[in-house]
Amino acid sequence: MNNLLQFVIRYSAFLVFLLLEVIALLLVVRYNENQKSIFAHSSNKFVGNLYSVAEDVIQYNRLQVVADSLSGQNALLKERIFNLERSLQRFAPVDKPLDSCILEPFHLIDAQVISNSIHQRNNHFTIDKGSLDGIQTGMGVVSPHGIAGIIDHVGTKYSTAISILHSAARVSASIKRNGYFGSLVWKETDPGHMILEAIPRQADILIGDTIVTSGYSFIYPKDLFIGTVERFWTQGGSNYYTVEVRLQEDIARLDRVYVIEIMDKDLYIE
Amino acid sequence: MNLSALRHIIRGVLLLLLQVLVLKRIGLGESWIWEYGNIFIYPVIIFLLPFRLSRLYVILIGFFIGLIIDIFYDTIGVHAFALTATAYARGLMLAYMEPRGGYQLSMSPTIFSMGLNWVLTFTFFTMLIHVFLYFSVEVFTFVYIGQILLKTLITLVLSMLVIMGYHLLFNPRT
Repeated sequence: MNNLLQFVIRYSAFLVFLLLEVIALLLVVRYNENQKSIFAHSSNKFVGNLYSVAEDVIQYNRLQVVADSLSGQNALLKERIFNLERSLQRFAPVDKPLDSCILEPFHLIDAQVISNSIHQRNNHFTIDKGSLDGIQTGMGVVSPHGIAGIIDHVGTKYSTAISILHSAARVSASIKRNGYFGSLVWKETDPGHMILEAIPRQADILIGDTIVTSGYSFIYPKDLFIGTVERFWTQGGSNYYTVEVRLQEDIARLDRVYVIEIMDKDLYIE
Repeated sequence: MNLSALRHIIRGVLLLLLQVLVLKRIGLGESWIWEYGNIFIYPVIIFLLPFRLSRLYVILIGFFIGLIIDIFYDTIGVHAFALTATAYARGLMLAYMEPRGGYQLSMSPTIFSMGLNWVLTFTFFTMLIHVFLYFSVEVFTFVYIGQILLKTLITLVLSMLVIMGYHLLFNPRT
């Protein structure tokens, strides 16, 4: 017993070292398996706050650019609303006010990205909205020019999302021109491209075809623009095309994003 | 709490902030180099602990600093693993590189106490271990050994530049 005690005291540094390494590895494995950590995440309040402050300082320098870009998007959206309302008027019954004909399946929550990563194998970003603002795990996050990710961890005031640049992210996407659909995944280290898998060989694909969300999930609405086909090929005798898609959104510059809440799943399915 | 401990804590916090607020953001840049490289300055907190601090404490501090970095980087466990090993390796390196007269136990391994060559060699080998382990655990398999080595090389060079810059600019005494 005495010998054992002496051994422990003598090699305490080494034993603690081994113990901590085992703990660290367990954390790594557990985290990688479930894509969720137990307690420590940047959706927690302290880390979120610190990132917010840093983001505020940097934002200040970009205010003008951001304002210009937002006002541009606004103009586009207004135009679209006017056109849609005008189109809707043709079909709406005459005796009902137009507003009562408009379905409201979606609610968008705007948020600011306060931390982001693109060069890891599994990337995440953090936004400045949390459960108090109605964010829930599993909601889709879209950006002005495409899709950004899926909410993963929700804190009270901050949330983290897995980026579409994440090995576990699979987005159901389709070719807009002919409706063939497959899964969009990220495999490479290149943050500008993703791979659309499982497009059957009989599909006719052209370079430059538009890729949109398919709407076959409760994460993103149908027909959100994602990117364009850059090249495509079949892998040795496979019956499916592998399509390389150039993303329209530059994930590295993710800034303002919108979290999509699906209010009424019945309306959505219709 | 004495003055020396306070100084180490303040330095530690500042270096952590530099790592997660500035260097992490630089790593988001568009250049191809950031696909393979990162800049790590936070291991310096471990390197600069005083000689007299026992190995056990250095290892514990290493684990916790690694965990803090992990929380900010959303890479739970990876930095903690690498930095714990680096903290252990620091003890071995110090024993191996001990000068004939021994260390002055109240000092830290700085240019002021050990000279530029010594600090350069010491930092290079400990950082090599750190960066290599970091990328090995990040991909969690040696299948991508080529990529690990490339990332290790680029990150090591970038980090060494920043760390030696820190030593030369601020010339920390203790």
